[in-house]
Amino acid sequence: MFDLLLQGFAAVLSPQILVLMIAGVAVGIVFGAVPGLTAVMAIALCLPMTYGLGPAAGISLLIALFVGATSGGLISAILLKIPGTPSSIATTFDGGPMMEKGEGAKALGVGIVFSFIGTIASIAALAFIAPSLAQVALSFGPHEYFAIAVFSLTLIATLSSGSMAKGIFAGVLGFAVSTVGIAPVDATTRFTLGQVELNAGFSILTVLVGMFAVAEIIKVAETARSVAPGEGVAPIVTIKGFGFSMAEFLGQIPNAIRSSLIGIGIGILPGIGAGTSNIIAYIAAKKRSKTPEEFGKGTIEGVVASETANNAGIGSAMIPLLTLGIPGDAVTAIMLGGLMIHGIQPGPMLFLTQAPLVYTIFAALIVSACLMLVLEFWGLRIFIRLLAIPKHILLPVILVLCAVGAFGLASRVFDIWTILAFGVLGFAFVKAGIPTAPFIIGFILGPMAETSFRRGLQLSRGDVTGFLTNPISGVFLALAVLSIAWQLYGEYRVSRLPASANPLKLGGEE
Amino acid sequence: MRLKDVIVGAAMTAAGAAYLRMAQLLPEKDGVDAATVPTFLAWLMILLGLIELAGALRRAPDDAARAPTGGVLTVALTLALIAGYVAALRPLGFPIATALYLFVQFLVLTPRSIRPPVPLYAGLAVAAAAVIFATFRYGFDLLLPSGPLVAWLN
Repeated sequence: MFDLLLQGFAAVLSPQILVLMIAGVAVGIVFGAVPGLTAVMAIALCLPMTYGLGPAAGISLLIALFVGATSGGLISAILLKIPGTPSSIATTFDGGPMMEKGEGAKALGVGIVFSFIGTIASIAALAFIAPSLAQVALSFGPHEYFAIAVFSLTLIATLSSGSMAKGIFAGVLGFAVSTVGIAPVDATTRFTLGQVELNAGFSILTVLVGMFAVAEIIKVAETARSVAPGEGVAPIVTIKGFGFSMAEFLGQIPNAIRSSLIGIGIGILPGIGAGTSNIIAYIAAKKRSKTPEEFGKGTIEGVVASETANNAGIGSAMIPLLTLGIPGDAVTAIMLGGLMIHGIQPGPMLFLTQAPLVYTIFAALIVSACLMLVLEFWGLRIFIRLLAIPKHILLPVILVLCAVGAFGLASRVFDIWTILAFGVLGFAFVKAGIPTAPFIIGFILGPMAETSFRRGLQLSRGDVTGFLTNPISGVFLALAVLSIAWQLYGEYRVSRLPASANPLKLGGEE
Repeated sequence: MRLKDVIVGAAMTAAGAAYLRMAQLLPEKDGVDAATVPTFLAWLMILLGLIELAGALRRAPDDAARAPTGGVLTVALTLALIAGYVAALRPLGFPIATALYLFVQFLVLTPRSIRPPVPLYAGLAVAAAAVIFATFRYGFDLLLPSGPLVAWLN
């Protein structure tokens, strides 16, 4: 294992890849920091640059963007009191008040250092859990894969924000969109409306770029004309040293360990990534704290809990992605798309056939975490200045880059039309209050579920009970039913509470 | 009754019904075939749509939350601009179509409180189109359409 990891480091630390990663982390931080720009956008618009790169360089760049964007959210969460991404929502609870008290530099220092610690803890979890899980997953057949896909779908559909009916609908619609093209097993052409371009179905990347990047641009267009000048301009803050003392650091270790475990545990589950774990870690830290009354008024404990937990989702979200090919959220879904462009099919076989590449991914994660630490401390002034670039200039340029990315997939203008169509659908979802993340997971897991279902039936000669009598598949299907029942119970309980008593909603979305 | 939720529920049901109709048109085979899973999904969509619709009809109307309508025009213009841009990519080529799109889109999205700096926007649009084209065409070997400029750019 260590030999492979060393090989991974040797690959990642080559000058070309290192330069790409520095650029990737920096761009990622900017996208994480600017509210309205997302990690998915960052990866989407850098994807075409990776087409011409080798797998190691391309994937290292994508990972650098992922790590940078997840962590960058803390900058605007503290300076502007607006979370750059949903994973930094809880950071605003104490980061904002600390900034108002004149402790902005301390809040940023704490956030940056504990983001790094959370990331490293989750990479350790990934490096130790993923190979063993891949070993177990090698024995999985169609029955198990079908059950895991159904379980993941129900989990994300029921736990994402809003009404359960809408969440499940989004997942089912994503599944339905994935059935366009040639059907598995019997190769019947379905729902292509006579368009040859649709024979292979929609590409994951066009769907993702449309639903997340283009939809976001349309969403911003709705409010762009009514923005006041100077809105969202962050004050300049400089950090001397780390901004906090050694005693403060040591005092936060138990909080960091607890928050890392929460972030890792939640990050492994599909659908409920960093958007939820930061809030749960914050609540847990408040319950365990000796001074819970300080929460919300500007205590470093709150910033530590939120930032450690959200970054701990980075490594853990890669566990189901690499071992089973199941992405947990939109960011890991676009990572899956990026991996597939480079001919890498995540799944348990990856650990056997392309082990050096898996360890290159681990090494890229560690190097990106270190780069994030360095760049956020020494490049903070530049990132703060970039926060001031007006949206009406930035977003059209991002749209053009998204169009280039879609065109580059197969040199077809058809793919740009596709991102526009999915952009309109994504905007309609926002307007209708339908969560987007279940749609994406339904779209990605749909083919896995259908193919495994039909192959499983072939294996058990048409007997559906095979899915229930197989122990692993039976357990996952039972868990799927339990997750729906639990959510139904939760909705029933909330409906009996007065509106003001409604607890914090789960984020779950990208 | 909440009108917006009723529309959403009805749209969900309609999407399910349309998908069911398309699934029924697929060639039939014995046992589980290419239409089995889509048919199941379509019925599920219809069921969920009806649940949402029933809930919306029962809920009290929400007077407080009326969406601002000012942004609708900007959204419609933006969509039309993007569509026009995609349609113009082949005939005009990437550099010209992109520069035109960016220039008009900057103007459309500029906040009402700011006087749009037209020469700056024009310069930015041309520069951004040129930099993106050059980066991808020459840096990453991506054959973006050149349009009428083909003789000079390839």
